[in-house]
Amino acid sequence: MLLVENICKSFGGKEVLKDINFQIGEGEILSLLGPSGCGKTTLLNIILGLTEQSEGQVIYKGEEISHIPMNKRGFNIVFQDFALFPHLTAYENIVYGLKNRNAKVQKKDVQEYIDFLELEPHLHKQINQLSGGQKQRVSIARTLVMQPKILLLDEPLSALDGVIKESIKSRIQQIAQDFGLTIIIVTHDPEEALTISNKVLIINEGKVAQFGTPQQIMAQPADPFIETFILKQLHIKRKNIYRLFGERHA
Amino acid sequence: MLKTTKTMRILYVSLLAIFIIFLIVPLIYMMWLSFDDKGALSGRHYQEVWQSRELLASVLNSFRVSFISAAITTILAFIIAYTIYFTTISVNTKKVFRLVVTLPMLLPTITYGFILIYVFGNQGYITRFIGEPLFSIYGFNGLLIGYVIYTLPAAFLLIANGMEYVDQRYVLVSVLMKDRPMRRFYHTVLRPLYGAIAGAFILSFILSFTDYGIPASIGGQYQVIATTLYQTMLGSIPDFSKGAVIAIMMLLPAIIAGLLLRKFERYTVSYRSTGDYETVSSAIKNRTFMVLCSIIAFFIVGIFSILIIVPFTSAYPYDMSFTWKHVQNVLGMGELMRVYQNSLLVAFLSAAIGITISFTAAIISVRTSITSRGLIQWISILTNTVPGMVLGLAYLLLFNGSSLKGTFLILIICNLVHFFTTPYLMMKNALEKMDMSWEVTGALLEDTWLKTVWRVIIPNIRKTIIHVFSYYFTNALVTVSGVVFLVSTNTSLLSTKIKELQHYSKFNEIFILSLLILMMNLVVMTGGYVLNKPKKRSVINEKKIYYSTGNGKLVSIVSRMWRWKNESG
Repeated sequence: MLLVENICKSFGGKEVLKDINFQIGEGEILSLLGPSGCGKTTLLNIILGLTEQSEGQVIYKGEEISHIPMNKRGFNIVFQDFALFPHLTAYENIVYGLKNRNAKVQKKDVQEYIDFLELEPHLHKQINQLSGGQKQRVSIARTLVMQPKILLLDEPLSALDGVIKESIKSRIQQIAQDFGLTIIIVTHDPEEALTISNKVLIINEGKVAQFGTPQQIMAQPADPFIETFILKQLHIKRKNIYRLFGERHA
Repeated sequence: MLKTTKTMRILYVSLLAIFIIFLIVPLIYMMWLSFDDKGALSGRHYQEVWQSRELLASVLNSFRVSFISAAITTILAFIIAYTIYFTTISVNTKKVFRLVVTLPMLLPTITYGFILIYVFGNQGYITRFIGEPLFSIYGFNGLLIGYVIYTLPAAFLLIANGMEYVDQRYVLVSVLMKDRPMRRFYHTVLRPLYGAIAGAFILSFILSFTDYGIPASIGGQYQVIATTLYQTMLGSIPDFSKGAVIAIMMLLPAIIAGLLLRKFERYTVSYRSTGDYETVSSAIKNRTFMVLCSIIAFFIVGIFSILIIVPFTSAYPYDMSFTWKHVQNVLGMGELMRVYQNSLLVAFLSAAIGITISFTAAIISVRTSITSRGLIQWISILTNTVPGMVLGLAYLLLFNGSSLKGTFLILIICNLVHFFTTPYLMMKNALEKMDMSWEVTGALLEDTWLKTVWRVIIPNIRKTIIHVFSYYFTNALVTVSGVVFLVSTNTSLLSTKIKELQHYSKFNEIFILSLLILMMNLVVMTGGYVLNKPKKRSVINEKKIYYSTGNGKLVSIVSRMWRWKNESG
């Protein structure tokens, strides 16, 4: 469905992405995982159409879309800080884009998403009255009502804490499942990437370190970077949890 | 950030065109005129000016009086700011000090001179109280007092802004480490504020050096560069080339001062978090600074009180009975009311168009990726540096034969360019603090760039827009220097009309017109306060937008000023 071929990107002579290749299908969740500054957000921006690649192609359903401007690609993004408009209520934010479609927007048009994301009690609140998780859900709803072909999420969980994080995680999986929507997530957290996605693309210093399912990555890490940087973090976490709860509870 | 669109490019090019036509070209033309000798380049005019004793004397006089006034102003400004930030006297008293020290900003500088005459002149109330004049108010003494009052608000706000970022916890640490008072003062207050103090001195100096209003009213025989320039251009035999040379001589120190101001900014220690700690003070310190500040405030109030006494007395100082006669006379004079309307029109249009220009400049500078957008920053530095009188003269020289001459349009353009820097920086700071993803989000929600600006950016920058309106309006209403060369009989403004009335010794009319200016400014300020009153739906912390600036002192000054206005109501 989405094919990324030989993508390279340089900024002022510095190569930040080198020969990136991967493919994902409809309704799949892909995580772009890697340390800060590895180029994952640049890759996300290239897919979105915000940044132009120096070389390579982005192909969606067989069509090369690199030349198509961002606003005409039909993809959409939820930013890390949500980018909600603070002068509008949660509901006004959700229906913001629909007003550009020259039709009178009614609540029933978006009710499905409001119910799905459990936003009903918060619709008339100002943005500064919402919690991090609620903001995240409003931002997702605003994006979903535009019925994007692919949903991009830039570090969607990094601003959230424990329990809320888990609830948003399951909701993201549900979105992919219920709406058959392809989702690409940028994250630097291995646990997040490996537990939420169908496929994970690990980037290190602008290059693909490994691309595969979480199981493949856990079972056969492709190089020492993945073992030391990615998997070691999980082992440390596991150890800490064992220490706290004992092996049985963990 | 969004890719550059055609709309962004069109706006950017239009903006550049405005500043090229109304800033760069007039200045280059003026410079060319200063070297022009019947079509050939020559330094003859400069030579003549340097050989003219009167002119050199006026330059030296300007330096002398501006330097001394800047020194006094800086000390006084420091005392007031220190009292507000480093003592524990009551908050309301502090508010009163702030109010009093910034009040003169709402009047044209030309009014200061006439007020001083009524206080210290032969018939002044201080003279009558003591029995003889303390000193001759005309010339050096009058200029000195006038400049100090004029530049005190700017210097105070600059230092106060610096003090706001001094971390009070260091004073506490110094106390706990048993530092001696002077050592504590040096390390916790003086040293972090070197930049702000030096900046206040330079700003005061250059404001005095380039002001025309005060010397026009009280300069007497003591010639300064501004009066010499005025006489050269609008005297019996106007000399355009000589005028251009004098303007360049006025411009050069202003440019040097502008560069120094930017340099000194780096010396200002800016603490990231100032915390919320109690100010450490002692009863002696509180009392001492309370007395010092009270003297300064009493002096300013004492001087400006004359403005509301003279117009309401039958024949000051001989018959002190109350009367509405003078006010009724002025209000009945069609000519003066027409001038008042002119002023309001120019101030309103300057403010309305000023918002558009400064907003466009700021949004292109901060929220687009146009490659050469850095030029806007340079334009803002240049407009901040060019004195109003120099800009006005450059317009006079360039547009003398054009249809712009003697129109309201040229006055409005002059105001727009002259006062551009501060509104631009205010807008820029506000826009920088907003989420940079809004335009991309807007585009993904099928907005055009302009639509996102209209639907998202403008509603969130509303407060700053109101501040910018007030700033442009107030300054356009009080400016003398900027428009003195450009007004005509039909486009006469209140501030320049005051100068005309001086020749007929119509001081009652002068004071009433000044009061009208003051009242109008207060109305606009109050309007701004009411509109900007925090509402439930307000979420952008605009105070933060203003204070966490790293872009030039002037924006800090104004930001502090408007915050105070809002707080005090």
